[in-house]
Amino acid sequence: MRRFFSIASACAAAISALATAAAQDPGVALKSFDEKRGGTDKMHMLSHVVSHPGAWKAADIEIEQDRERPYVYVSGFVNFDAQIYDISNPGAPKKLFDWTIENPELHRGIGAMDGKYFKIDNRYYYAQSFQFMQGSPDADLGAVIFDVTGLPDPSKVKVVARIKYPQSPGGFHNTFAYKHSDGRALYFATIGQSKALIYDLGKIVSGAPENAWLVGDVPNPTPFKQIGGGGYHDFYIGYDPATRQDKFYGAGLGGYSVWDVTKPEAAKQLFTITSLGMDVSHTFTPSPDGKYAVTETEYQYTPLRIWDLTAGQTGKTQNIDTPISAWTADWRDLSHNHEVRWPYVFVSAYEDGLQIFDLKDPKNPKTDGAWYTCECQHEHGFGGTPDNGWQSTTSVEQGAFGVDVRNYDGLIVLSDMRSGLWVFKMDGFNSWNGNDYGMPNVSSVQDWDNGPEKAATKRMVPLREGARR
Amino acid sequence: MIRAAFGCALLAGAFLVTTRPDAPGSGPFDIPLFNTAKVPDARGAARLVYAASPFGVAVTADGHARYDVLIDASGLPTPSSLGEYDAYVAWAASTDLSQWERLGEVTNGQSIVGQVDMNKFLLVITAEPKGAATHAGPTVLHGTSPSSWLQNFLTHPLFRGVPP
Repeated sequence: MRRFFSIASACAAAISALATAAAQDPGVALKSFDEKRGGTDKMHMLSHVVSHPGAWKAADIEIEQDRERPYVYVSGFVNFDAQIYDISNPGAPKKLFDWTIENPELHRGIGAMDGKYFKIDNRYYYAQSFQFMQGSPDADLGAVIFDVTGLPDPSKVKVVARIKYPQSPGGFHNTFAYKHSDGRALYFATIGQSKALIYDLGKIVSGAPENAWLVGDVPNPTPFKQIGGGGYHDFYIGYDPATRQDKFYGAGLGGYSVWDVTKPEAAKQLFTITSLGMDVSHTFTPSPDGKYAVTETEYQYTPLRIWDLTAGQTGKTQNIDTPISAWTADWRDLSHNHEVRWPYVFVSAYEDGLQIFDLKDPKNPKTDGAWYTCECQHEHGFGGTPDNGWQSTTSVEQGAFGVDVRNYDGLIVLSDMRSGLWVFKMDGFNSWNGNDYGMPNVSSVQDWDNGPEKAATKRMVPLREGARR
Repeated sequence: MIRAAFGCALLAGAFLVTTRPDAPGSGPFDIPLFNTAKVPDARGAARLVYAASPFGVAVTADGHARYDVLIDASGLPTPSSLGEYDAYVAWAASTDLSQWERLGEVTNGQSIVGQVDMNKFLLVITAEPKGAATHAGPTVLHGTSPSSWLQNFLTHPLFRGVPP
C-alpha cells in the first residue's frame, strides 16, 4: 500500500511538472497572470533589448536569412521608426541604424507596423510599412524602401523609394515580400479597401515610373464588401510544387480565402474558409505542402484553429467551415502572429510571449516550449487613441507581436509591444528545411536568388559538422 | 407647438455657429491640441470662428471659408527656455507639410490668430525668434483641422488598422 502511494505520488509530481511546462495542452492547469515570467526548460533566452523608452516599443520583426548578413529589423510601432540590429553575437544585439519618419511629432497613427527584406540583383532592401491616420501627414504613405546592402555601415543605408496609395489613406498594415515563380520580387500589401495590392519591387527600386509599380490586386471575397468594408488583414504567399502555382492565403474581414496568383495581374479564387466566429480573420499560414493551415481570429478567448485544406486544394469544395483542432496558450488571452516551420508553429502570443507548438499530429497540437516576454498587467493592452497613450483597460493586445525564425540555424527572434527585441533558441531545433520532414522546403523565407521552384527541393547545408536538425 | 420648437432649435443652432464662444470645447469647429515631449506641461485647444464679415460667413474670393483661430493655451514655458526663441507662433500647414502659413503669435491664455482659409490643415505652434517668417523652431503644440477627419466609408477603419 505504501508502495502504491509512493508511485501515485511520483506520478502526481510528474504530471505537475508537465503542467508547468506545457502551456494549456489538454488537462494542464493555467498559470496565474503574475506567474508569467521566464520560460520552459527547452527554451534558451539569448538576449533582450528594450528597444524604446515608454509604454510601447515594437510591432513586427524580420530576420535576414543569409549567413553573412546577421541583421534583424524591428518595426517601432507608435515610435514611428525602423531599427536594424546586428546579431552576429545573438547574446548581445547591437543597434546599427534607426530611421524615424520626418516631423514625427506632427504624425498621428500606429506608425511603423511591418517590415520585410528582399534581394534584387545582389542588392538587399528593406520595406518598412507605415500607418498614419487620416488628417496626419503621410496618411497616404504605405511603405518606405531602404537599400540596406551596405550594412553594417549605417551611413550606407539609403531611402530609395516611398510607396503611396492615396486612394485609401491609412497605409499598409501587413505586407509580404515574395519571390514569384516568374522571377519577379513582389510586394503584397493590405489597404483599407476590400483587396490586397501587388507591387513589382524590381520596378520600384529601379526607378521605374510610379504608375508602373502596382501590377495587380487580390480581392477579398467577403460579404462585408457590400457595406464598404472588408479589407485583408494579413496574408501568406507560398509556392505549391504539386500544382506549380503561386498561392495567396489571405485573412480578412469575413473569413479566409486562397487565390492562385501565378499570374499576379489576374488572380483566381480557389476556395474560402468561412464559418461562425470567423468574421475577424487575422492570420492564415499553411503547411509547406498546403495541406494544413493555422489561422488566427483577432478576439479574446479564441484559440488558433487548425484546418485540413485538402478538400479546398483539390477542388472538392468551395468553402471549408470546420477546423480539425485548435491550440491556445491560455484561453483567457489571445495568440497573435505565427510562423510555420512544419511541424513546429512559432507563435507571438501577446500576453503569453513566445509559444511553440507542434503539429506532428495535426489533430492533437502539443506545446513544445514557451517564454513569457510581456511581464505586463492582464487586460491592460493596446487600445483607445493616441490621446490616452493607446492604453486600454480591457484589451489583451499587448506583449509578443511578431516572431521570425532563421532557417539555417533555427534562431528565433521576437518583438514584444511592451518589452522590445528578444532572441531565443530551442533545444532540438537547430535548422529547418521542409525536406527533412517530408515536406517541400517552403516557408515565409524566400530564395531570392533561385526562386521558389528550386527552393522547394533545396537541401540545407549544415551550419557545421554535426549540427543537429 | 412642434413648429415653434423646431424654429427655436434652428435659431439656437445658428447662434452656436455664428457667435464667438469663450473657449474651445469639443464641437465640430474645435481642434484639440497635443503637446510634445519638449513641453510636457503645456495644454491647449483651438476653435475655428468665422472671420469678421458683413455677410456673417467669411469666404475668400474663390469661395474658401475664412476663419480666425481662437487658441487657449496653458503651461507654455518662457520661449527662451527652449533655446534662442522669443515667442510662440501658430502656423497652418497643409497635411503634406508642403505649405506653411504664419497665423500669428500665441501666449498662455487666449490668443486669436489667423486668418486661415485652407480646407484641411494642421495647426502647429512652434517656438521661434521674434518676427520669424518661416517655421524652424521646435513644435510645442499641434492639432488637426476637423475637416481632416472626414473620410470616405471605404477607408473607415472598421477592422484593419485598429487592432494590431
